[in-house]
Amino acid sequence: MILAQGKLYPSKEQDRILSEMERNINRTLSGPPLKIETVISAVDSLGRDIGGGKYDDIIAKLPVDDPQRYKALAAQMLSKEYLELKLRTELGLSSLDMGKAYPTGEVYTSIFPLGVIFHIAAGNMDGLPAFSIAEGLLTGNINILKLPQADNGLSTEIISKLIEYAPALADYIYVFDIPSTDIHAMTKMAEMADGIAVWGGDEAVAAVRRLAPSGAKLIEWGHKLGFAYISGEYGGEELKGLAEHIVSTKQLLCSSCQVIYIDTDNNVELNDFCDKFLPVLEKAAARHGAVSIGGRAHRTLLDYTDMLEGFLEGGALKEQGLYKGKGCSLKVCNDSELELSPMLCNVLVKKLPRKNIVSVLRRKKGYLQTAGLLCAEKDKETLSGILARCGVTRITGLGEMSDFFAGEGHDGEYPLRRYVRVVNRVMAEK
Amino acid sequence: MKYTNKLFSVKDPYDIKNTETLFTKALVENCLFQYSHCKEYACILNGLGYYAESLCNTPDFYAALPFIPTLLFKRRKMFSLPERKLLIKATSSGTSGVNVSEIGFDLGSLLRGLKMVLTVGKKHRLFSLKPCHYIIMGYKPHKSNRTAVTKTAYGATLFTPALSRTYILKYKNGKYSPDFEGVISAVRKGAGAKLPYRFMGFPAYTYFLLKIMEEKSIQVKLPKGSKIFLAGGWKQFYARQADKKELYALAEKVLGIEEDNITEFFGAVEHPVLYCTCQNHHFHVPVYSRVIIRDQDTLNPVKNGTVGLVNLITPMVKGTPVLSVMTDDLGVLHKSGECGCGIDTPYLEIIGRVAPDNIKTCAAGAEEIIKNLEI
Repeated sequence: MILAQGKLYPSKEQDRILSEMERNINRTLSGPPLKIETVISAVDSLGRDIGGGKYDDIIAKLPVDDPQRYKALAAQMLSKEYLELKLRTELGLSSLDMGKAYPTGEVYTSIFPLGVIFHIAAGNMDGLPAFSIAEGLLTGNINILKLPQADNGLSTEIISKLIEYAPALADYIYVFDIPSTDIHAMTKMAEMADGIAVWGGDEAVAAVRRLAPSGAKLIEWGHKLGFAYISGEYGGEELKGLAEHIVSTKQLLCSSCQVIYIDTDNNVELNDFCDKFLPVLEKAAARHGAVSIGGRAHRTLLDYTDMLEGFLEGGALKEQGLYKGKGCSLKVCNDSELELSPMLCNVLVKKLPRKNIVSVLRRKKGYLQTAGLLCAEKDKETLSGILARCGVTRITGLGEMSDFFAGEGHDGEYPLRRYVRVVNRVMAEK
Repeated sequence: MKYTNKLFSVKDPYDIKNTETLFTKALVENCLFQYSHCKEYACILNGLGYYAESLCNTPDFYAALPFIPTLLFKRRKMFSLPERKLLIKATSSGTSGVNVSEIGFDLGSLLRGLKMVLTVGKKHRLFSLKPCHYIIMGYKPHKSNRTAVTKTAYGATLFTPALSRTYILKYKNGKYSPDFEGVISAVRKGAGAKLPYRFMGFPAYTYFLLKIMEEKSIQVKLPKGSKIFLAGGWKQFYARQADKKELYALAEKVLGIEEDNITEFFGAVEHPVLYCTCQNHHFHVPVYSRVIIRDQDTLNPVKNGTVGLVNLITPMVKGTPVLSVMTDDLGVLHKSGECGCGIDTPYLEIIGRVAPDNIKTCAAGAEEIIKNLEI
């Protein structure tokens, strides 16, 4: 399936569409620029309709725990107010300002779209490909999208709706449903692009780096790791919040908590923490019923097999540090390394005295994202500062690690800035 | 293995009531043997805080007996007899030879197995002197293939004198591939034949064969006495597991084989006990085996009728400590009497396989982890 200039074509037309694409793109670039208000109004209409229940049947089919929350979030993120705030925060512009020249020093400066963006989207979040396209449109770009293999049709549906709301967008969107192994087509699309936005893990990012022509700007949204850092006292409410976060995200997001660090160098404190936290986590897991019986059985079998294998390697029962709950587990580890947990409500618990934070976290510098921080008020500034200097880009409370906050960046960047370029025109002869 | 040999010589394969003590004695015998002959087994028991002698005196012995997941047999080879005594080393499914269990069988274990097959086969009327054409919905034996499922499928062709053997999975250029056309042409010859046909092998391939025949409107009335035996699990085709009823209906429609002549077998290389369906298509527990369903989180035994992990217990094998194994199947144990076929033992229903949830994630490193999660 291919979506080009507002029309759907079967995949067998791929070669023809690709061969005509450069000419079509050039024609679009020669015409009047895309008005950002048009984009905002189309996205806003979509948001309103989602909020108003027009797409409830589609949302009901999504594998999300809380469709109402999902709907409210989508409506908020697609609203005119939010989009304008995003433009203002990230580019310092109003929707009318794209391409306008402002005097800065000896030159006129204007912000222009990068041109053509090739989006290689990952299938790890429903609707993500459409979100990537929306960011490309919001900055006035022509967008080529390679759908992820696991796409369930939702992205194309959203994109088609946008074109329905604003037919002017048709020339700015090309969607291809091809495998990433189709190197010929991938290379062709990359060659037409000024920027390549890639979402995915290390492998996907590395593959795109190999494929990209050296002149193309790479915009990488790689996979990240989140963790919680607890220093000093912790109360029931905070633990509840953390448990809710772990269970509701199943630890699948970049911002999800994989490791809970305790500011100590003493294992006894880790065991104390697990004794207190396990029942809280169990309760949250029971409420959400997050993981299927087969998934839980699978994890239990792996843990049990690891334990037996541990005996064969000379380990003893008490050294293994596994706190097994119903539908969840905590594992006390002897190291401090930040790493991916087994996910699905199975969390690693490690000691990390604050004097070691920098040396430990720096080893994962390209992967740091969210830290859920709990500490005494007087330590907040210091600890936040240390975490930020290590490379952490989001610092939140324990229960808010995956919450959405208007005005926030993405993995340490303002994405819209990656999708535009600065154009200078010399004002006048000196 | 005095008690074990005695257990495998019992005449009625479903007389659990009168063999309860014998089963326990045989299991104790095997446990003590494994403990003193397999250092890995001793290490596991000790690691869990058990010593064989005191364990064997626990009242609820077979529930207390530590179980070893089939997954561990895939990671580690464990043998309790010197290699020269292991006549056969059979592997679990997966012809690649990677990530498979390897179980050693000595002569005694094989003889016990043979006795069991004869007893169960007799009870379920699997044997006949009338020669048959065999259609094997599984692997054609090849020197590179040591899977137990290949050996048992071949073994089943000895239930009656074999006139011919046609295999669906043929080894060519280093790999097996299905040859539906070849099988269909062999089946077509069955119309009007005098001697019966027997199908033996994977349910998934059998189902696909029937489906293809139905789509092509090929219908053959096979001779009276023709049978379908299903064995080897649905494994990778689990998602497409056909409703069994549909398979029965298809078999009658395209082959003229009635439901009564369809029998399913269950077993695993790590638990080589022959489970055979009754007239109501249920797997009753035979005297050689016990089933404990365990909770997916705590691994504690659950009540009959509850879904959980399937723990299978048998004293049959001497060469490898498979006396209590935890499979990666999810199942339910139903009370005896719930079936109504006349066999008075509980029956096991396999519901599915454990599997990681189909997850979408953007957490760093997850792709690698997910790849390594395959059991």
